[in-house]
Amino acid sequence: MTNVRIWLAQNYAPILAGLVFAAMFATYATKGSAGWQVAVLDTAANKAVALALISMAQTLVIITRGVDLSAGMIFIMTNCIASALVTGTPGDVALGICGVLLAGALAGLCNGLLVVFGRLPSIIVTLATGSIYSGIALAIRPTPGGSIDEDLADFLTSHLFGAIPTSLVLLLAVVLLVWVPFRMSVVGRHCYAAGSAESAAYMSGVSVSRAKLVAYTLSGLLSGIAGLFVTFVTYSGDAGATIGGAYTLNSIAAVVIGGTSLYGGAGGAIGSIFGAFTLRTIDDLLLAFGLPPLWQPLFQGIVLLGAVSLGAVRIFRLRNRMEVFQ
Amino acid sequence: MRKHHHLATAALVSILALGAGVASAADGYKVVSGPGYLPDCFTPFPKSAFFQWAKKPGPYRIALVNGFVGNTWRIQMIKNAKGYASEPGVKDQIKEFAAISTGTDVAAQVAAVDNYINQGFDAILTDAVSPAGIAPVIRRANAAGVVMINFDNRADSNKILQVNVDTFEMGRIQGRWMVDNVKPGGRILEVRGLQGTGADRDRSKGFHEIVDSSGKNYEVIQVVGNWDSGTSHKVTADAIAVYGHFDGVANQGGSDGSLQALLDAKHPMIPIAGEGENGFNQMCAEHEAEGLKCLAVAAPPAISSVAIKAALSALQGEVMPQDIALPLPVTKAPNFKQGISFFPELGSGFFPDNTFPACSVDQSTEEIMKQVVE
Repeated sequence: MTNVRIWLAQNYAPILAGLVFAAMFATYATKGSAGWQVAVLDTAANKAVALALISMAQTLVIITRGVDLSAGMIFIMTNCIASALVTGTPGDVALGICGVLLAGALAGLCNGLLVVFGRLPSIIVTLATGSIYSGIALAIRPTPGGSIDEDLADFLTSHLFGAIPTSLVLLLAVVLLVWVPFRMSVVGRHCYAAGSAESAAYMSGVSVSRAKLVAYTLSGLLSGIAGLFVTFVTYSGDAGATIGGAYTLNSIAAVVIGGTSLYGGAGGAIGSIFGAFTLRTIDDLLLAFGLPPLWQPLFQGIVLLGAVSLGAVRIFRLRNRMEVFQ
Repeated sequence: MRKHHHLATAALVSILALGAGVASAADGYKVVSGPGYLPDCFTPFPKSAFFQWAKKPGPYRIALVNGFVGNTWRIQMIKNAKGYASEPGVKDQIKEFAAISTGTDVAAQVAAVDNYINQGFDAILTDAVSPAGIAPVIRRANAAGVVMINFDNRADSNKILQVNVDTFEMGRIQGRWMVDNVKPGGRILEVRGLQGTGADRDRSKGFHEIVDSSGKNYEVIQVVGNWDSGTSHKVTADAIAVYGHFDGVANQGGSDGSLQALLDAKHPMIPIAGEGENGFNQMCAEHEAEGLKCLAVAAPPAISSVAIKAALSALQGEVMPQDIALPLPVTKAPNFKQGISFFPELGSGFFPDNTFPACSVDQSTEEIMKQVVE
């Protein structure tokens, strides 16, 4: 019994985010005139998965008490790279996908190197590198375009066995292959320690530098997966810097909704995924209820503020992850 | 070697398709031969194909999925569409008209179109956020038999009806007028639109096609005004500060900004080619006596109304050109007149010309202004 209570206490925020999302989505699916059908799930999942992946990327950096303002820019850069590389024979496609993921991871590693060895605040580093990544994206795609293997794209944005959106399966795979191993690993725990109390962790013999490098690199990789995925959703690359900025800010909001502390050292990617889903459902809900489009940003802001407060009420007071265990 | 690749692709695709709901790409329309319905209104671009959908009984459910919403043109475009959809004679053919704006996120626009396809709408109109990014929903709309029409920002696709003005021609009209009105060897300021968009690229190309080949050795200075009055004002003022003197200005949009910058700098009156917005037209009329010469060309927001008319015609089984070019309204000095070219009581960003006579689209300012953008 106490085990359950501890588990609940530790996972209060992601559970709450999941419940909020479930309630919102149920309202949307019931209210929307298309009702419950697999196509509605596909559409919602395709729209949400890219943001969910970027929010996971953001979570990794925020856990180390940093912030990644370049997440959205790595996303559009890898989107543009994918629109140039992921086409041709199956071999070319596979190589192209590897190239895209490598580019994302490299971008994350650059951020990490600058933060760790440059001893610069992450907010400044990623503001600068984000601008560089956005420049690379524009150099690759001055105007939106490109092409991608359409059959693969349709497969990944459709559904499996007539019921499960493929994009959700993909997201689950990323969670199982990237997030869970990271969370269970020693280096993952070191990231939490570094974010919670960096000097204490350092004194205890934790390799803070290595932990941060791993977190930033994985973060870049996840943004790269998001960039790859959105290429499947749009068949093309688009270097719009405003989009990159919007995704970055939304990812930070999703992280907060999901209960990860902006002070670092507490939280996790699962909550952020639900945070991202919640954010995306807000837009859909506003449409389903027929709110005027010019008013939508206002309502989005209000609902966002409410959701963020709900998720953050407890975690904002945390200064140290140890408090969660009490 | 190539054959093996194809075999491998086929194998991969069939494996992927196993258990996956991959839609077949059968299109909802037939490609037929012209001429199309109402050729004076739905004038095809040269080389346009002709599409025909099976006739469907009305009344219809039609959705408009706009992207960016932060400028006057887009807001007026939605008002035009709503006004037209509620006009007598049109209203009774429409069961439901929904208009939404998704912002500039391609994935959000794709999802919104998908939602309307899922809800079984008969026709979906889009102002594409990304010319290429809209392709997946074109494929799905065609597979679902939904009439999809794109207007304004072009889609890079010949599998969808497109209603547009000839953006190259807009640039050419400004270019020709510059060549006629600016002395050889003169310095021309070209104020471009939003970078990265097809409309900006095409209009600039059309402009240069005429000006560069005129043999008059013009020096063209390019600045970026983003089709916005404030930005145009700033970049024009900057350019005057740097270069001192221009012999002509061609501005794609937000042209009153450029004109105001010329007036503020006490620059001698020079020919200025701009976009036919209320404020620009009014300033042209007011300063005509001082020697100002203007040309105004506009892409009227009422394109959205013609797009609705095209959707209704397609649903009624008429033969439609795939690529429709609407005429461009042009006003030249001294034809800037109050009550026709401008309305002092309305904002400077209003587009006064809302008529496409050949399409029986003639929307009064009252009809447009009373619409609420919801």
